[in-house]
Amino acid sequence: MLSAVTNRLARAFLVLLAVSFLTFIIGHDSGDPVLLLARGDATAAQKQELRHSLGLDRPVMAQYRSYLENALQGNLGESYRQHLPVTRLIALRLPASLLLAATAFVLAMALALLSGMLCVVYRDGVLDKALAGLAVLGQVVPGFWLGLVLVLIFAVHLRLLPVSGAGGIQHLILPALTLALPTFGRMSRLVRAGILDVLGADYIRTARAKGLPERDVLLGHALKNALLPLVTQAGLELGDMVGNAFIIEIVFAWPGIGRMTVEAIQQRDFLVAQGCVLVIGTGFVLINLGVDLVYAAIDPRVRARA
Amino acid sequence: MMRIRHSLATCAALAALLLGGCGQKAAQPIVVASVSDVSSLDPHLLDVNHPTGSVIWSLFDSLVRRGADGADLPRLASSWERVDDLTWRFHLRTDVKFQDGSPFTAQDVKFSFDRMNVSPFNALQQLWQQTTLKQVTVIDAHTVTLTTEKPATTMLYWLEEAFIAPQAYYSAHDESWLNTHPMGSGPYRFVEWIPGDHVTLTANPTYFGGAPPLRDIEFKVVPDLNARLNGLATADIDLALNLTPDTLAQANTSHARGVTVLGLRKLHFGIAQHSTLAALRDPRVRRALNYAVDVPTMIRTLLHGSTVPLTSVVNPPNNNPALKPYGYHPELARQLLAEAGFAQGFDLDVDFTPMWGQDKDIAETVAGYLNAVGIRTHLHADEWSDFKNHLSHQSFNGIFYAGWAALINPAVELVIFTCNQEDNASGYCDPKYDDLVHAANTNFDPVSRKAQIEAAEATVWNDAYWIFLWRDPEYAGISSRINYTLRGDDYVEMYTATPRPP
Repeated sequence: MLSAVTNRLARAFLVLLAVSFLTFIIGHDSGDPVLLLARGDATAAQKQELRHSLGLDRPVMAQYRSYLENALQGNLGESYRQHLPVTRLIALRLPASLLLAATAFVLAMALALLSGMLCVVYRDGVLDKALAGLAVLGQVVPGFWLGLVLVLIFAVHLRLLPVSGAGGIQHLILPALTLALPTFGRMSRLVRAGILDVLGADYIRTARAKGLPERDVLLGHALKNALLPLVTQAGLELGDMVGNAFIIEIVFAWPGIGRMTVEAIQQRDFLVAQGCVLVIGTGFVLINLGVDLVYAAIDPRVRARA
Repeated sequence: MMRIRHSLATCAALAALLLGGCGQKAAQPIVVASVSDVSSLDPHLLDVNHPTGSVIWSLFDSLVRRGADGADLPRLASSWERVDDLTWRFHLRTDVKFQDGSPFTAQDVKFSFDRMNVSPFNALQQLWQQTTLKQVTVIDAHTVTLTTEKPATTMLYWLEEAFIAPQAYYSAHDESWLNTHPMGSGPYRFVEWIPGDHVTLTANPTYFGGAPPLRDIEFKVVPDLNARLNGLATADIDLALNLTPDTLAQANTSHARGVTVLGLRKLHFGIAQHSTLAALRDPRVRRALNYAVDVPTMIRTLLHGSTVPLTSVVNPPNNNPALKPYGYHPELARQLLAEAGFAQGFDLDVDFTPMWGQDKDIAETVAGYLNAVGIRTHLHADEWSDFKNHLSHQSFNGIFYAGWAALINPAVELVIFTCNQEDNASGYCDPKYDDLVHAANTNFDPVSRKAQIEAAEATVWNDAYWIFLWRDPEYAGISSRINYTLRGDDYVEMYTATPRPP
């Protein structure tokens, strides 16, 4: 078990190394930040001086090496545009992103489990069909559009919730809901299918034959066994949310790391973009690691293999 | 029963939480919503007029203030005179204190200007380079002289963007601290900067000009256009910038109104002179391009009539009054093309980028007009950094949609066509034109200077150095809580805004 974890950690490190190298090279190849930083009327000599003071006139590999050395010591450099340490910018934004993702994830999972089970209990009934419709809607409606519609209804017309920005719980509701809906859609279908799948199994028949109430059969036996594929999907969904958050954070002016990444890319603020991608990449890797560990915990077969 | 009561209480608490924000509107700061964040709060790292410039203008003072109409007004300098062609003398106010209570003196002026002349500040601050400033001399505590190498007719213009930082404070801290902890003498004091989200300022009660009428100001980053419009509709935003002509009407709600101001930036298509296309070096072809495009119709349809056609590369009031818009004459365009030997037309690249308003619509429409006179256009949508790369390396091969000089200063406006100038993206180089512009820039005689400027303008206009479009209009939404008049140069001066009685 321990060796499996170290093995995974070593692989995760290699993945992050590759991520940092690729973002560095892509960022570097896509344009000269000095042209965006200096004012239009700056002379070529002044631009060269600025390039030199930012260390951008050194060979690319030398720049990458010093970037890596500093990164290993927890220093991701300084924003070209805002002259602030990248770690500080990320530290300012990361909590907002984590809060949004965690809320949306918990919301999506809770609603998906509830709706999936309701669908099983009332399968082929009106409620089942209505919830299936909602799930499909959640999967197909693009987040940026849904976000705007929710804002129009709840913020502009009904004035129940704020339009954008971060603050109290009221600011969190609309972006979290928008972010949660696609995940809810996919997960609730999976929960329904998963439970229906295991309901035909022998141990369910045994459980019913024992005289267990239907509720205990569903929660104690069917759901537990249907959980395994759900955990995999949940891990993927969490990764997906990070991707969707880029758009949602812009639509709701949510001060998260996704919006910061997009803005940094637009402004050729390499070091900020690299730092964000590195942090998001680390998040991805950790989620995958977590999924594997949870797997081992809930499925004895996986544990035995490891 | 107990259970029901419990959940009722929970519901009530939740509702209270949800609606909590509603009662607090009165204490809310005035919110200015912009597309992007400030890049620095160091007065000498000012990079763009808005939002960085708007915040710096609020926190710091310059010797001379630039009025919205380009007028040179006293600010920290109460008066000034030219001692001779190379020397300026400034008399400073004696009643100014920085926000930490220390007095403002000539020494702070020298310190600030000298600081602007070293890297990294000199890549952004153009005072020394543009005015050929050689030396700043402190005469006494409230008098300072500036000596230049050449006569500097634009001295006051550049001083308007040269902000005074207190020497004691700015030499006691390092650059990264100063970047986030600004302290000046301006109408507003700094409260906080959450990068990427907002900058908050509060009125300076000891400002020499009196505290500004609006107390708390928040410069907020709201990148999405719809989010800015919605914020305006719900009274969460008081000044929403960068709206578009087609969304302006949505700003008219019970809480807010949409406004348009005739901007000072001149939108045009640059015409590459270093192109492989010899046609573009022929003035007849360039005139034909201008005659082929129906500028008035584009203004009426695409911009809802919110601007006026250009009549010169120089903004009023310094423009040459003899120059008139080309007008839409497609037959004349065909005739000129034929005269130049291009009766069969030619292939032409048309580049555009989202930096300037409605880039796609405008580039496509212009391409359509050019196709109609037989020119075969090829549209290219460029990413901003690619476009900027082409601009600074003079590597466009056809025409490109761009904006130029949101300011009132003929010396700066005309310089774009001088040989080897950094902004000269089209690559014009005519020694006679250069002589005129350089003569005007070092000539203190208003009458002969005006004649030189007008002659240079006539060259640009008659030889059709651009496809001339219109002045870039600015669209904004203003809430019913405030009165504010927008400037044409993008700077937002919230200290000139006033509360509006309900």
